[in-house]
Amino acid sequence: MFSLNPQTRRMLRRFRAIRRGYVSFLILSALLIVSLIGELLVGSRAIIVSYQGQWHFPTYTAFHPGTDFGLDYSFETNYRELRDVFRAANEGDWVLMPPVPYNPFESHASGDVYKPEPPSLASRHYLGTDTTSRDILARLFYGTRIALFFSLAFMASVYLIGIAVGCAMGYFGGVFDLLFQRFIEIWSNVPFLYMVIIVFSVIPSTFSVPVRIFVLLAVMVLFSWTSMTYYMRTETYKEKAKDYTAAARVIGASTGRIIFRHILPNAISTLVTFMPFTVVAAIAAITALDFLGFGLPPPTPSLGELLRQGTATLRTAPWIVGAAFGTLVLLLTLVAFIGEAIRESFDPKKFTVYQ
Amino acid sequence: MRTATIFALASLVAGCGDFDGDVDAPAPETGDADEAAVEAYYASKPDFFSFKTAGDLPVDLVWQNGGHLPDIGSPDAVKGGSQYGSIQDFPRTLRTAGPDSNGSFRAWLLDDTSVSIAHRHPNEFEFHPGLAKEWAVSQATKTVYVRLDPAARWSDDVPITADDFLYMFYFYQSPHIIAPWYNNWYGTEFTNITKFDDHTLSITVPNAKPDMDARVLSLRPMPRHFFGTLGEDFVERYQWQVAPTTGAYTVRQKDIDKGRSIALTRNKNWWAQSKKFWRYRFNADRIVLSVIRDTPKRFEAFKRGDIDMFGLNLAEYWYEKLPDDDPDVQAGRIHKTTFYNQSPRDTWGLWINTSRPLLDNRDIRVGINHATNWQLVIEKFFRNDYSRMRTSSDGYGAFSHPTLTARRYDVQAALQAFAKAGFGQRGDDGILVDANGQRLSFTLTTSYEGLKDVLTILREEAAKAGIEYRVEVLDATAGFKKAREKKHDIYFSAFNVGLEMYPRFWETYHSVNAYDQAFLPDGSVNPERKPKTQTNNLEMLALTEMDAMIDAYRASDSAEEMRGLAHKMTALHHDHASFVPGYVQDFYRVGYWRWVRFPKEFNYKHSEGAGQLFVHWLDTAAKEATREDDGTWPASIQVFDQFRPAVTE
Repeated sequence: MFSLNPQTRRMLRRFRAIRRGYVSFLILSALLIVSLIGELLVGSRAIIVSYQGQWHFPTYTAFHPGTDFGLDYSFETNYRELRDVFRAANEGDWVLMPPVPYNPFESHASGDVYKPEPPSLASRHYLGTDTTSRDILARLFYGTRIALFFSLAFMASVYLIGIAVGCAMGYFGGVFDLLFQRFIEIWSNVPFLYMVIIVFSVIPSTFSVPVRIFVLLAVMVLFSWTSMTYYMRTETYKEKAKDYTAAARVIGASTGRIIFRHILPNAISTLVTFMPFTVVAAIAAITALDFLGFGLPPPTPSLGELLRQGTATLRTAPWIVGAAFGTLVLLLTLVAFIGEAIRESFDPKKFTVYQ
Repeated sequence: MRTATIFALASLVAGCGDFDGDVDAPAPETGDADEAAVEAYYASKPDFFSFKTAGDLPVDLVWQNGGHLPDIGSPDAVKGGSQYGSIQDFPRTLRTAGPDSNGSFRAWLLDDTSVSIAHRHPNEFEFHPGLAKEWAVSQATKTVYVRLDPAARWSDDVPITADDFLYMFYFYQSPHIIAPWYNNWYGTEFTNITKFDDHTLSITVPNAKPDMDARVLSLRPMPRHFFGTLGEDFVERYQWQVAPTTGAYTVRQKDIDKGRSIALTRNKNWWAQSKKFWRYRFNADRIVLSVIRDTPKRFEAFKRGDIDMFGLNLAEYWYEKLPDDDPDVQAGRIHKTTFYNQSPRDTWGLWINTSRPLLDNRDIRVGINHATNWQLVIEKFFRNDYSRMRTSSDGYGAFSHPTLTARRYDVQAALQAFAKAGFGQRGDDGILVDANGQRLSFTLTTSYEGLKDVLTILREEAAKAGIEYRVEVLDATAGFKKAREKKHDIYFSAFNVGLEMYPRFWETYHSVNAYDQAFLPDGSVNPERKPKTQTNNLEMLALTEMDAMIDAYRASDSAEEMRGLAHKMTALHHDHASFVPGYVQDFYRVGYWRWVRFPKEFNYKHSEGAGQLFVHWLDTAAKEATREDDGTWPASIQVFDQFRPAVTE
């Protein structure tokens, strides 16, 4: 691992000083951490069940059939009903449910039919339900979690490939650079969204949902890594020509050492500036794909799918589109603020004096 | 070849949209060479195409003309006005045969608008005349004799004669139309056509089925003077050409705005416009159809009055988007009507591919039947508007099985069935596993994007019975292709079934549509059999017993025997458990602006949509009044249940 040079450290300090961006960063990080333990906040499985003096923690364990708690069915316990059963029996058993006691897949209607219901505190549907009576908050929560981690994974993969190829192009130059440039020129002209739609539509559905999400990620990365290479290539060329790199080479440092210890740390500021925008692009892309019906396979919760439902029921259930749109705006604003702060703190003009 | 290029160029220009002139295509040459090729084809099949004289007609024929049947439509109907509608997609071609022609737009060009020899009366099921003045059925010779109405004219004013029927066989048997189903149907389901004179002909079928008259009387001629000899270039040449029609509506070239809209225009000199059964129908002067892909958008267009009628079959639209207390409904501007009809029901259900591992086990299939909670879907999602399908052939009257019902959702029964197949233990996620740790998990495919929530509900419920459905939603073409290539596990879909006397079994259940050589000559399973693609046997059902019954059914000419066989086959199919019957919709409901008028009884027993029979008309004065001010009229929310069968359960 390379250590940050003093210049980069100064940049980070500056970033922390830009309050709006820094606070956004903290909020987003907190959201990410919270979403990791999301099952404790949003889900149909109880956090704690106290049954006949024994405590059970069903959230992350194997499923408990109803028979485990004295019910008469062998499928997964309905903990909301269990709570009512315990309360009625009044034998000291109790259930602690998450604050939002619904999972994103189950239909839970207060009336006889599945239809969108407006937000209600009493039924604990804090953002209402969608067209098949699924809890919108639960779907939003897990949809956002998937979108966030998806976009982070997307960013990481794109940067890994982009940096590797870009660095190699810039460092080795010559024929290798020439050939790869042409290849990238061709590759980057393939229309991204269409390609994703086409490729993803021929992926066999026998794969499970996580695998399909991974395939979608791979396909998206495949068609988006190119833009990063150019920046890296230029940056590497620039750094390679500087005296310290030449000095390192004269001392006898290996290629790997020069790239990782000397060039990369100095090129990092350019990359960091782009990161938030890559995340924004990934969230927007996956939402757009879902909106068009080519994204994550149903019934995976997703922002795009909610938006689509919302636009179809704009007149009758405005809370659907409201929730999805609000979340999207919040998410993208946070990321944009972070991006803005990073750009400002990493701005080279702050550290060079040309006058 | 050169003609083809010119046509391609012409359509390209028209496609650009800046070509406003009337581009009525030049009539194809009908030179002597053309005539000769068609005649030569007739001559090459002397058994099929016969030419006799009027004197050769059998004398003992009983001619009928359906004259006793009541008229169709309302005498109050007035002609005129423009009807506005929408289509989901612009038609890919205006041909009515060949590649891409079997799209939903063909109903406007052919199925719903054109006139065949005779038509089933939409209330009485008997035939009323179309192109025929009268006809006679001879069961003994398996022949239907037809006397054409001498007044019948194509829309370009050329008389319709027996030659157009001879030509129809030439046309549909031609390899150039690239339509194998038609080649097969017109080549094997008919054995002879005889021309007696210009307006008298007879057509013979191979089997004297109880409804053999329907097979002949529903034929529609093809205009020989328009197509002439067919060649290799048929598909491209006629891609955007509108052939002359026997019906009231035709499409003018200048009304084709590719990708945007298309309009039908009423032929003011239509030959049948004063004939009984036809005089009160096809009333609008123009029908303008715009492309609106999105259903919610289509509804908004309807709410604005840009579209006259909107189908409200989905509960969401009927109850939420256009509720009874909607201001437009309450003010009587938009009317809502539910109409209970009677016709064979579309087969909505889960089609299980029995050639897949695990699904070839009957216990698993029985379990799937019990694990699929259609009751909940009907109750909660469809709000009890639909009812549970009983068997795969509901709605055929006495031909439907009288007592069978679908298996009910029952977790215990499902678990027992799965346990019999070796899946007795639940895994960590509640899904059953067998001794080898294999999960009980199948892909549930559909091509109906709008019904994906149904599958999500089924998935959640099935998990209780320990089976996992992986939901896969494909677009319409891809989904159907997958199923027809037999690559699905379980496919959720329906076959649209037309108005017929008895159900068809061959297409969906005969082994020849499942495998190439399903069985060896001794009746045992052929170990090297390969799935047969592009057929409707989506269950890959191959049972020698079923084959034998289907063959007997197809050869039978006794309605009694066929009924018995139909019941037995339905029972066998039920026992095989390869189909999970879904739901049937025994009504249609529609919202329409008050300027659209319908007959007093609204519509007909065997109609499948409010606009299908074109018995409605437009009140242009009412339209102006409604459009001009926000007036109030009596609200109209009607239910017509005169054809609703008495509830049996």
